[in-house]
Amino acid sequence: MRPTLNSADPDSPLWRASQAFRLVTLVYAVSYQAATVDNYTNPRLSWALVALMAVWSGASALLLSRATLPRWQVVLADQIIVIALMASTRLVADYDWYSTRQTLPTTLWATNAVISAAILLGPKGGIASGVVMSLVSALVRDRFDTDLWSDATAPVLLSAGLALGLASNTARRAHEELRSAARLAAITEERERLARQVHDGVLQVLALVRRRGLEIGGPAAELAELAGEQEVALRVLISEQSAPRDDHTGSIVDVRALLRTQAGTSISVSTPADPVLVESDVADELAAVVTTALSNVELHAGADAKAYVLLEDVDGELILSIRDDGRGIPAGRLAAAEAEGRMGVSKSILGRVESLGGTAILDTGEGEGTEWEIRVPRTRGAR
Amino acid sequence: MGNSGSANERSEMTGDENPNAEIAVMVVDDHPMWRDGVARDLEAAGFRVVATADGVAAAGRRARATTPDVVLMDMHLPDGNGADATVAVLDASPKSTILVLSASAERSDVLDAIKAGATGYLVKSASAEELFDAVRATAAGQAVFTPGLAGLVLGEFRRMSSSPEPESDTRPTLTERETEVLRLVAKGLSAKQIATRLTLSHRTVENHVQATLRKLQLANRVELTRYAIEKGL
Repeated sequence: MRPTLNSADPDSPLWRASQAFRLVTLVYAVSYQAATVDNYTNPRLSWALVALMAVWSGASALLLSRATLPRWQVVLADQIIVIALMASTRLVADYDWYSTRQTLPTTLWATNAVISAAILLGPKGGIASGVVMSLVSALVRDRFDTDLWSDATAPVLLSAGLALGLASNTARRAHEELRSAARLAAITEERERLARQVHDGVLQVLALVRRRGLEIGGPAAELAELAGEQEVALRVLISEQSAPRDDHTGSIVDVRALLRTQAGTSISVSTPADPVLVESDVADELAAVVTTALSNVELHAGADAKAYVLLEDVDGELILSIRDDGRGIPAGRLAAAEAEGRMGVSKSILGRVESLGGTAILDTGEGEGTEWEIRVPRTRGAR
Repeated sequence: MGNSGSANERSEMTGDENPNAEIAVMVVDDHPMWRDGVARDLEAAGFRVVATADGVAAAGRRARATTPDVVLMDMHLPDGNGADATVAVLDASPKSTILVLSASAERSDVLDAIKAGATGYLVKSASAEELFDAVRATAAGQAVFTPGLAGLVLGEFRRMSSSPEPESDTRPTLTERETEVLRLVAKGLSAKQIATRLTLSHRTVENHVQATLRKLQLANRVELTRYAIEKGL
């Protein structure tokens, strides 16, 4: 058997392992036969049946581990052959012998039918096959009254069906997750490739137009401004694109992607290089805080003011700083505005941050710009 | 904002005293329009453009031949990225300094170039005068930071200090003061504003900023060495 891992088939390792079990149980069944054949009524037929069992063991082991036929066909044949062999007990031994012992010539080998069904169909299939085999065993041996303490056939068959069924489901699920992760990685890579393409061509030209236009001045400066805006818009689009959401963790998002959409010619956004992942509702609140603070900068800081957003991820805490170098707010005006009930913006920011269990501090003074420092715990406390 | 025309006149007027003439520059960019445009601007401002290159391999070769003082480095090259080219140039010409000039939003690839030894980063939409200042600063051994780069470097040190790996005690960390300075850079304050706010000298602020880059490059070497030992290289 080649030890290759067929990536399209998550069950392959289980199938191969179970064929090893099949061969071991075959050895056990043959030894049992050799040791007890003197007591049978029809030893010749029983040896023929053992030979049939050995042939089917080899054939099914090959068929199941290589998957040359559809596996369900092999598994179905497995069930039928095992049942038929169990039933043949009555042809080779008398009542006194078979009613108190295992079915012949199958003995422990009968478990293989249950294992095949479990790997193919999961725990339900495994248990169903276990029930069928237990019933056949009881019927053939005419032993419905056997208590479970002296005859472990039924518990062994059922638990093997359950355990292998669960293992098979886990393998399939893990495989599915791996595939979806690979798909996501491929999508990301493709988007990044596209981003690079756009980047190498269009963005470069836009940046050049902006620079040259500003240098020439006059009407060209207007074009330069337009080119600059488009350059920023395109750059934002690219960085958004390269952060696709994972379907399996739809509620976790990268705050950086949300913040970058705010970047512009007069707004700088600084973040770590690695994703800053938080629950999407936390991210949305933070993005709303930044939008509010930035629109306030646009309204009050003055036309030439620049804004700087900094996101930091420190020891279970997110620190978000929003600073502008504009006019600032004179100390008296801030208190006066509050007294008049005109502190809507600050209230809105404070409210949002408090709902996240964080703190927000506003630092300002006349001619000093304004600076918000917002701290929010990474995991929200009990709500 | 200045423009290349006036810079050109100035360099002609001042003749040999033009400080820019001392600075040999190489421009690495695969986009011919951009590469030639920048080279022309630099020459007009009196810089000596000693070479241009359109890829990693060419950059390494020409750096060996011309040993430029400053290399203007694009991040996206046909045969690699800016970090690869930074390694190639510094291998060929260890005394060169690298200024990354990229159109991209600051991303991890810029950080990779900085880790590989680049000492500055400027967005391509910066004005010509900002570019000249950055080239002069880089040539003088100063670190050229944008707020975005400062955010990346801060994030990188925090990532390293929070990783549970055993070598974290041998890996360089930032002092409190360096972290403070870097945060202010990331919030858009100039070196002068930072000096005022922290009551430090301008020079001290510059030293702190440079120290963070040196430590990042050192940390990168520690990581690479550990990786090499693990892989039995």
